[in-house]
Amino acid sequence: MSVENKRRILIVDDSRTMRRMVATSLSNIGECRFEEAANGLEAIERLVLGPADLMILDLNMPELHGIEVLKFVRARPMYQSMPVIVLTTKGEESVQREAMAAGASLYLTKPFSAIELEAKVRGLLAEAGDKA
Amino acid sequence: MADLNQPPDDFVNQFLDDYFAECEEHLAVVRAGLLNLERFVDSSIADTAQLDELFRSFHTIKGISGMVGLSPAEQLAHEMEGYLRVLRQGEALLSKEGFDSLIEGTKVLEEVINAHKTHAPAPAIERTIEILREVVAGKDTSVTPAKGQPEQTQKTEDKKQWRFLFAPSQARSEAGINVNTVRARLQSIGDILSTTPLVHDGDVLFELIVSTSASESELDALKDLELTSEPIEPEEKVEPITPTSGTSQTISTSVRVDLVRLDQLMLLVGELVVTRARLEKNLKSIRTSVTPVQWRQLQEVHVAFGKQLRDLRNDVMRVRMVPIAEVFDRMRFVVRDISRETRKQVILELSGQETEIDKFLVERLMDPLLHLVRNSISHGIESEEQRIAAGKPAEGHIYLRATTAGELVVIEVGDDGRGIDVKSVAAQAPEVALWDDEGRIDFDRLLETISAPGLSTRDHADRASGRGVGMDVVARAISDLDGSLSVFTEAGKGTTFRIELPLTLAITDALIATADAQTFAIHRSSVQEVIEIEPGSIKVLENNEIILHRDEVLPLVRLSRVFNLKDKKEGSLHAFVIGTGNRATGLVVDKVLGLREVVVRSLSDPLTDVPGVGGATELGDGLPILILDVMEILNASRHVYASQQSH
Repeated sequence: MSVENKRRILIVDDSRTMRRMVATSLSNIGECRFEEAANGLEAIERLVLGPADLMILDLNMPELHGIEVLKFVRARPMYQSMPVIVLTTKGEESVQREAMAAGASLYLTKPFSAIELEAKVRGLLAEAGDKA
Repeated sequence: MADLNQPPDDFVNQFLDDYFAECEEHLAVVRAGLLNLERFVDSSIADTAQLDELFRSFHTIKGISGMVGLSPAEQLAHEMEGYLRVLRQGEALLSKEGFDSLIEGTKVLEEVINAHKTHAPAPAIERTIEILREVVAGKDTSVTPAKGQPEQTQKTEDKKQWRFLFAPSQARSEAGINVNTVRARLQSIGDILSTTPLVHDGDVLFELIVSTSASESELDALKDLELTSEPIEPEEKVEPITPTSGTSQTISTSVRVDLVRLDQLMLLVGELVVTRARLEKNLKSIRTSVTPVQWRQLQEVHVAFGKQLRDLRNDVMRVRMVPIAEVFDRMRFVVRDISRETRKQVILELSGQETEIDKFLVERLMDPLLHLVRNSISHGIESEEQRIAAGKPAEGHIYLRATTAGELVVIEVGDDGRGIDVKSVAAQAPEVALWDDEGRIDFDRLLETISAPGLSTRDHADRASGRGVGMDVVARAISDLDGSLSVFTEAGKGTTFRIELPLTLAITDALIATADAQTFAIHRSSVQEVIEIEPGSIKVLENNEIILHRDEVLPLVRLSRVFNLKDKKEGSLHAFVIGTGNRATGLVVDKVLGLREVVVRSLSDPLTDVPGVGGATELGDGLPILILDVMEILNASRHVYASQQSH
């Protein structure tokens, strides 16, 4: 499979350690290309330059909060079907409702389990593939 | 079944280095942030941008600590974040107790992370967590703090607001122009009040509102970013959505490199320096067998090679340099802490924070500086009552200054306290003469005495002497870094410690000299000048050899006698003048051969730990020569002379 055909997963988190952990957790999926963004603005720019097959999104980030990213993305027709996993540090339950209302496909908390994250991503990618 | 929420060790272990590095970065941001926040204690204004930034740092530490299974750090960060949330949402004002609990929490958090790093037992966190919870529970809800940043609003008066639009595209991204670089460039000309994604004619644009006093030509310089820009009328109020503070994360174009790789690079450059020296030797040996034209061509290439190698060495060295602010910022925190502990009001004055030092030195300087600062506050600075009685300002001052002088970095730690009580030191070391014949303090000997191991914190009198603890540790650490330490103190006025360190330890310019057919190297940076001496001009005064140099008496130390070699029988001698003023000494050698670039190899084996020898090098012929530690040699010689005099 060529680079162009690989599925693109965008990992958005302001912690580079966390981005690496997420990418490493998903490294067994195969045929995936990981892209990273360290803040909300960069995430939107990345999506404008090329759509992603899935986005893993942190919420509490500088420049633009994850919820704002999600709202902006979901308002654009071309990103409406993109699976978005909100992956954020647990603590605020009201945020979960807000994230789901803004269009998150799934809400997971940190610390996350690598096995669980991989399973969820596989599931969402398969689901999106079936729809296409 | 394995707990899915408990990350397996091998998964976690591969991220530990990243984890510690990222925690360290956030803790540095936190320390600076807390110090900025201190002004707002008990104020009705909350610096929301600063609170946001602190909140995010703790939030990140909490998140990644949870991932690596360091739950005490996760819990602590969680509590800190909790208090900051309360402050951020305007549910409480920053109280003195609250601020102290943040400082304490940060300290314990750092200890927890460091303990994990060094596999040491973790410190207790329960009390700290309890205090943080008490602060949150006792929040005063009767007041609503005003939000905002007072300083920034004052400054905007002479500034103009501009609206920039940036359209991201593949081509721009490939040219390195993206929303992060655009923000970084705009930040360099003013304050970004907001960045908002917009949809315009189906395209996504970023709208950036910038407050700036930049001129038309400065704005013109942004042309390569292909932004559209327009000024905004003053009455058009723009609410900052994501306010940025001075220390907020700026988008950098830097890469992180492991220090080990830089060491490796420096080692390779070092080997190149030796190879070049070997080439030079070989070239000289063929000089007579080539034509003058061929010789000139070879020389030209060789000279160019030498110059490029020197540039390469400088550049590699520069890559390793970081501003000393990294160390000084840490001291701000320490000063705050100790002054609270000792109930003394202390103002820390920093200068030369931009001075760059080798990254290698940053960690190694932390402890000695910490000791010096701690001593200055605990033992140097008097109590408030004593200061007022002495006609001094109630607050004590601590100075941290850094400058470069040639190949040296000079760091001074000073205070305006009581000064070292030399009499009290003398009482504890009666065998040492701390004053010269004219009653002036011999600062070198004073430093030696207070740095003697085992002479620390013996009793109350010792503490009161104003010299404090651990000076032996400081002196050893500085000497291990090939540096020198000196002290200056005046009763009632204060004490200053001065540290001089070589900019780099790996490659240095050295003067090459011989004594009794042995070749030695001496760091160029420690030599003030090289002089020629006629043996007839040397006079002997109470066992000491001296000469008159520039109308001053210059004591001499013969290198040949230091190493039990033979003195040169006839002809003139050379001497290196080390030190200045009345501390100047001439180190006499047979002959100075010249100035060379040498690679310093350390001699760390304790069996080869010869006093006066600081390392070894080779000049390209494969034969090792010793690099002398001149300060050690001169200090040792003074002892010899002193004991000769006393017998």
